[in-house]
Amino acid sequence: MNPTITLSFTLNGRPQRVDVSPNRTLLDLLREEIGLTGTKRGCDVGECGACTVLLDGRAVNSCLVLAPQVAGREVVTVEGLAPLGTLAPLQEAFIHHGAVQCGFCTPGMLMSAKDLLDHSARPPEREIREAIAGNLCRCTGYQQIVEAIEDAARRTHEAR
Amino acid sequence: MDAKKNSIIGNSERRVDAWGKVTGSAKFAADYSLPHQLYGKVLRSGHPHARIVSIDVRQAANLDGVAAVLTANDIPGSRVFGIVVKNQEILAGEKVRYMGDGVALVAASSVEIAEAALGIIDVVYEPLPVVSDPEYAMKEEAPRVHPEGNVFVHHKVRKGNIEKGFASADFVIERTFRTQFVEHSAIEPEAVLAEPAEHGGVRITGSIQNLFSSRRSVAAALNLDLNRVQLVQATLGGSFGGKDEVMTSMCCRAALLVRATGRPVKMVNSREESMLESYKRHPYVMHYRWGARKNGAITAMEIRCIADGGAYASMSPFVTWRSVVQATGPYACENVKTDVYAVYTNNNYTGAMRGFGSPQVNFAIESMMDELGERVGMNPLEVRLRNCFHRGSVTATGQKLDHEVSLREVLQKAADGIGFPEKWKRFREADGGMHRKGVGLACSYRGVSLGAEGADAAEAVVSVQTDGSVIVSSGVTDMGQGAGTQMSQIVAGVFGIPVGKVLFLNTDTNRVADSGPTVASRGTIVGGAAAKNAAEIVRATLLDVAAEMAGTSPRELAMEGGFVVRSADGTRLASFGEVAAECFEKGRPMHGIGWHRSPKTTWDAATGQGDAYFTFVYGANAAEVVVDTETGKVDVVDFVSVHDVGRAINSDAVRGQMIGGVAMGLGYGLLEEFILEEGVPAQLNFDEYLIPTSMDVPPVTTIIVENEDPAGPFGAKSVGEPTNEIAAPAIVNAIFNATEKRITELPANLERVRLGHALRRPGPRGSALKDDGQSLPDLSCKIRPEKL
Amino acid sequence: MRPFSYIVAGSVQEAVAALHEHGRDARVLAGGTDLLVEWRHPGARVPRVVVDISRIESLRDISLEGRDVLLGPLTTHAELIRSGVIRSEAAFLASAASTIGSPQIRNRGTLGGNIMNGAACADTVPPLIALGARVTLSSVDGERDCHLSGFYNKPYTTVANPNELLTQVRFPALPRGTKSAFTKLGRRNALSISRLSVAAVVAVDETGVITDARIVPGAAQTVWKRAMEAEKILIGNPPSVALFAEAGRVVSGVLIRETGRRWSTEYKEPVIAALVRRTLEKCFAVND
Ligand SMILES: Cc1cc2nc3c(=O)[nH]c(=O)nc-3n(C[C@H](O)[C@H](O)[C@H](O)COP(=O)(O)OP(=O)(O)OC[C@H]3O[C@@H](n4cnc5c(N)ncnc54)[C@H](O)[C@@H]3O)c2cc1C
Ligand code: FES
Ligand code: FES
Repeated sequence: MNPTITLSFTLNGRPQRVDVSPNRTLLDLLREEIGLTGTKRGCDVGECGACTVLLDGRAVNSCLVLAPQVAGREVVTVEGLAPLGTLAPLQEAFIHHGAVQCGFCTPGMLMSAKDLLDHSARPPEREIREAIAGNLCRCTGYQQIVEAIEDAARRTHEAR
Repeated sequence: MDAKKNSIIGNSERRVDAWGKVTGSAKFAADYSLPHQLYGKVLRSGHPHARIVSIDVRQAANLDGVAAVLTANDIPGSRVFGIVVKNQEILAGEKVRYMGDGVALVAASSVEIAEAALGIIDVVYEPLPVVSDPEYAMKEEAPRVHPEGNVFVHHKVRKGNIEKGFASADFVIERTFRTQFVEHSAIEPEAVLAEPAEHGGVRITGSIQNLFSSRRSVAAALNLDLNRVQLVQATLGGSFGGKDEVMTSMCCRAALLVRATGRPVKMVNSREESMLESYKRHPYVMHYRWGARKNGAITAMEIRCIADGGAYASMSPFVTWRSVVQATGPYACENVKTDVYAVYTNNNYTGAMRGFGSPQVNFAIESMMDELGERVGMNPLEVRLRNCFHRGSVTATGQKLDHEVSLREVLQKAADGIGFPEKWKRFREADGGMHRKGVGLACSYRGVSLGAEGADAAEAVVSVQTDGSVIVSSGVTDMGQGAGTQMSQIVAGVFGIPVGKVLFLNTDTNRVADSGPTVASRGTIVGGAAAKNAAEIVRATLLDVAAEMAGTSPRELAMEGGFVVRSADGTRLASFGEVAAECFEKGRPMHGIGWHRSPKTTWDAATGQGDAYFTFVYGANAAEVVVDTETGKVDVVDFVSVHDVGRAINSDAVRGQMIGGVAMGLGYGLLEEFILEEGVPAQLNFDEYLIPTSMDVPPVTTIIVENEDPAGPFGAKSVGEPTNEIAAPAIVNAIFNATEKRITELPANLERVRLGHALRRPGPRGSALKDDGQSLPDLSCKIRPEKL
Repeated sequence: MRPFSYIVAGSVQEAVAALHEHGRDARVLAGGTDLLVEWRHPGARVPRVVVDISRIESLRDISLEGRDVLLGPLTTHAELIRSGVIRSEAAFLASAASTIGSPQIRNRGTLGGNIMNGAACADTVPPLIALGARVTLSSVDGERDCHLSGFYNKPYTTVANPNELLTQVRFPALPRGTKSAFTKLGRRNALSISRLSVAAVVAVDETGVITDARIVPGAAQTVWKRAMEAEKILIGNPPSVALFAEAGRVVSGVLIRETGRRWSTEYKEPVIAALVRRTLEKCFAVND
C-alpha cells in the first residue's frame, strides 16, 4: 500500500543506496533505516535542533526533510565528523570546554557549528549565538558551547 | 588522605563520557533496538476527569500486525504504584484523573500500526466534574480526585509566638505570589527497550532516573521477584528530576507487553506524548505576611502555601516538605508559622524537578525581602545582610547552623560582580525612557541531599583490573550532570591514577544495591562518598600487597602519579598496574563495596522542629535586565552566579551546572508556563512551550566559593539544584528596580510586565489560572492550522 | 505520517500537469517546514499525492527586471537575507526573513511556502504587501497575476486554486531614498513566531515632507491590510516622533474597530501603537 522508492545520495562522503517509503523523514531514514543513531529526535517539529544535519553543506532539521528530497544530495551527520576516529577541532573543543553535559543536543549543536565555521572564519560571539539559536540545550545554558565554538574557530584559523 | 595535594580533585577533568557524545556513538535509550522488536504505544485519556464505562479492544486486537492490546484487567500483579502514596495506576481501571492517564496499551510491528490500533479502541467515558484550581480543590464542595479527599499534605512549622511577633512589629507586609506549571524539558523524550530475559524475567534498558523504585513497581505489577527484573540505565539525555514516575509507568507498561508477547518491546514517547503525560513543577499559591521593625528586623513570618499536586501524590509530600523547611529563607525570625498544603486536582500531576520545592518559595521570599528594604529605606543588599543567617544562627525549624555559613560572602561577591548597589541606585533614579535598566539580587540557603525525607544511603562498587584499570559502578545515576565524571575523579584521586584509567558504568540494578533515588543533588555528596569508601577499601589491600613487595609497612606508602611511592621521599616502588597484578597473583580481593549513609536528621511533624538537613549550601545571584516598558519584553543582559559548593570536585562541571541552572531559572522567571485549561494542556511541544535559546541567555559570570564541609567527600557539597533556585527572583527584583513594578506571578512575560497582570480568557469557575499565553487563535498565531 | 505517492517535478510544466491530474488530492511540497509539521499530527489531512517542486531550478532566482524585483518562490529565507538585490532594493524584506525561526528553518523554508501557507504570523508577507507585491499563479490553463493584498480570504486561505502553482513574486523596487523597516515582537529572541509585527515604508521629499507612507501590521488581523488611515496622516507632514505616535494610535484604533474589543485588546492596543511608532522611527535611524 505504500510502495518504497530507491534513493541514492551521499552520506558522510560515501555513496548510499537505500529503499524508503516516501512518507519518511530524513531523520527516520538515518535512525531507523540506516541505523545511524547519532542524530537525535527531540521534537519532530523543527524546534529543538537535535536532528540537525548538513544538507549540501547547510544545517537543516532532518525531521523536516522528506527522505526522498535528499536524492542526489550530500548529507553529513555527526558520525561524519570524525570518520577515522580522530576528533575534529570542534569535537575536541566541545570536550575541552565542558560544552557537553547530557549530550543529547550535542550532535545537532556540532552540525550547526560546523555550518557556521565552514562559512565564516572567525565569527564573533553574537554570530555564534545566532548560529546555534535553533538548537535547544536544557543543560548548559549555552555559554561553554559558545566558548568551544570560538576556540575551534581560532584553532582552525591558526592551523590554516 | 590529603585532598589539597591531590591534583585530580578540583581539576577540570574532561568528562568521561564526552567522547561518545561528540561522535554520536553514545547510546541513549531510543538508540537501542533488537531484532523482531515490537513497538508499544499508549492510549491516553481524552478527559481530565471521567469514569470509564467500558473499553472495547476487539477491533484493535484483530488489526494486522498487532501483537497485543492490554488494559488494566490484564495486569497480573499490583496495578498501582507511587513512591509515597501508592495511588497511581499503570493503566486506569475505573476512572481517569488527568489527560495523561493511560487506559490501554498496544504492541505492534510498527509505530504506525500501533497508532492505528489505538485509534480503534473504543472507550466509553462518563465525564465527571473537573477540579483544576487548587484553592477551590480545598473546599468541601469541590469534586474529589481520590476518595480520601483532595488535601493530601499539610506540613507545618511553628516557632515562637506569631501573635506576639506581629504585636511587636512596626508594620506588616502582606503579599500573594503565584507560580506556574513548568515542564522539565529534557531534550530527550522518554524511551525504553524491554526484552524477555533468559531466566524468565524481564530486562529493561531506558532513560530511567530512579532504577530501583521503577524496578519495585515492575516486579510488583508482574508478580516477579526483584532479582528477575533488571533495569539498566541508558545514557540519559537530561532529566532534571523528570524521569522518575513517568518512567516507572513506561517500564511497567513495556514489561507487561513483553510478558504478553514474549518479544522485545520498544517504547518511545513523542514530545507531545511526553508533555501530555509527564509530571511538572508544582504551581504554588503563596500568601506571605511579615511583621517587621523600622530598623529592618523581621519579627514575624506567617506563610501559607498551596501546591497543586495534580492527579497523583508523586513526590509532592517531599517537595512541599522542602518548601516548609526553607519557606522563611535564610533570614532570622523568632516567630514563624508556616503551613504548606498539597492538593489533588485534575491537572498533570506534579513531582520532582530541579530545585524541588525551593524555586517557588524563593521567589516569594526574595520578593518580600526587596519589599521590606523598600519599606525601611535599605537597599536590597543591606536588608539581606542585616537579616541573613551566620554561623550559629538558628533556623525556623530550630536547627543551629554550626558550619561556615557563607551568606555574607556569596551576597557580597554577587553584588560586587554586578555593580551593586551603585547601579541599583543609578537605575532607580534614572528618568523614564522606553528601555529601562535594573539590577536585582537574590540569595538562598538550601538543605543538602534528602534530609529528613528518608534514609539517605548509597552503594558503589570499585573493581580494579589486573592491568590497573578500574571499573566503578554506582547506585547513584549520572543524569547528564556529570556525576559519573566526578565519581571517576574521586576514585582516581584515591588511587593516584589518571581519570582515563577509570571506567564509570551506568547504573544496572543487577550490579549494585538499591541506592535510593538520584535526587536532591545527592550525586556527588552521597554517591561520591560511597565511591570514595569503596576505593579506599581496595586501596588498603593494594598498599598491603605493595608493602609486602617492598618489604615495608603500608603506612610508609602512598599512591600518586600512577605509582605506589614511598611517602617519605616519593621514590616509585611499583606501578599501580604491577601492584594490581601482584594482588591478583596473591589471591587478594581487588574490589571494594563502599556504602555511605548520610548523618542523621530529625523532624517533629507536629511542630515542624528539628535538624532537617545535615548541612546546607549557600548561594547568591545578581541579574541585570533591560525592560522594554512598551511591550513588556525583558532581556537579561548580565548575570552573576555565586555558590558555595564546599569543594568543587570538577570546576568545569560546577560552572556548567551554574550556568545551566541560571538558564533554567531564566526560563522560569520570564518564559515558561505549561498552561492547562480546565485540565487540558494548551501546549504539547516546543513550538508553544518556550524554553530559552542561545539568544536569550546572557553570558553568566560564575564565582565558585569553597568552604569545605566535613560532611561531604573531599569537602564537597551539592551544586545541581541550588544553581536553579534564585535566578527568577533576581530577575524579578531587577524588573522592579527598572520599573518600580512588582511582579507577583511567574512568568514575567510580555503581558504581566506590560499590564501588571496576565491576560485572562473569560472561563468558568473552578478553573486554573488563565493566561493568554501563546494560544490566542485570532491574534497571536499558530504556525500550523491544526492542533493536536 | 500517512502514506502518499510522491512525484518529483523537474519543471513547472511537470508540476502543473501533476496538479492538474490530481487536483485536490495533491499538495505542493517546497521546503516542507510547514507541511511536515502539519502532516505528522494524527488527525492531519495528508494528501494522496505530494508534488515535490524543490528541484525546479528556475523557481529559485532573484533578479531585477528594470525596476521590478523578481523572486522565485523557492528562494529560501537564508537566500533572501544574503541577496544583494534584496538588501539594496527592499531591505526590510531581508530583515523580516532574518527573524524567521532559526538558521535551519531559514536554510530550508521558502518565500513561496511562507506566502502560500498564509499563517497570520508569516513574516515575509507584511513587507511584501507594503511593497505592493504581485504573485504569478501558473496552471495548465496558463498564468494569472494577483495582488498579494487581495490574495487572502482569511488565515491559511488564499484565492489560489488547488491546481495552481506559485511561480513568481514580483514587486517594484523601492525608489532610491525611500526607507523601510520591519519590527517583530516575539516572546523570545530566536525561534519565535510574531506576537505582533509591523512593516513600514516611508519616503520624504527635498522639503522634508513625507510623500509616501505604507504601514502593514502583521499577526494582528485576519487578513493583512495596509493601514491607510494612518498612512494618510503621515503624508504631507514632516516626520516627527509625535506624528509617528499619532499614526500608531490610529492603527490600533482601526484594528480595534475591526476586531472588536476582546480580552486581549488591553495588551494589543498600546503595543501595536508602540510598534508602529518604532518602525517608523527605525526608518529614519541609520540603516542597518
Ligand atoms: C520551527 C519553525 C519556526 C518557524 N518560524 C517562523 C517564523 O518565525 N516566521 C514565519 O513566517 N514562519 C515561520 N515558520 C514557518 C515556515 O518555516 C515558513 O512559513 C516557510 O517559509 C514555509 O516554506 P516551506 O518551503 O518550508 O513551505 P512548505 O512546507 O513546503 O509549504 C507550505 C505551504 O505552501 C504551499 N506551497 C509551497 N510552495 C508553493 C508554490 N510554489 N506554489 C503553491 N503552493 C506552494 C504548500 O503546498 C504548503 O501548503 C516556522 C516553521 C518552523 C517549523
Ligand atoms: S527533532 Fe528535529 S528539530 Fe527537534
Ligand atoms: S547537554 Fe543536555 S541538552 Fe544540551
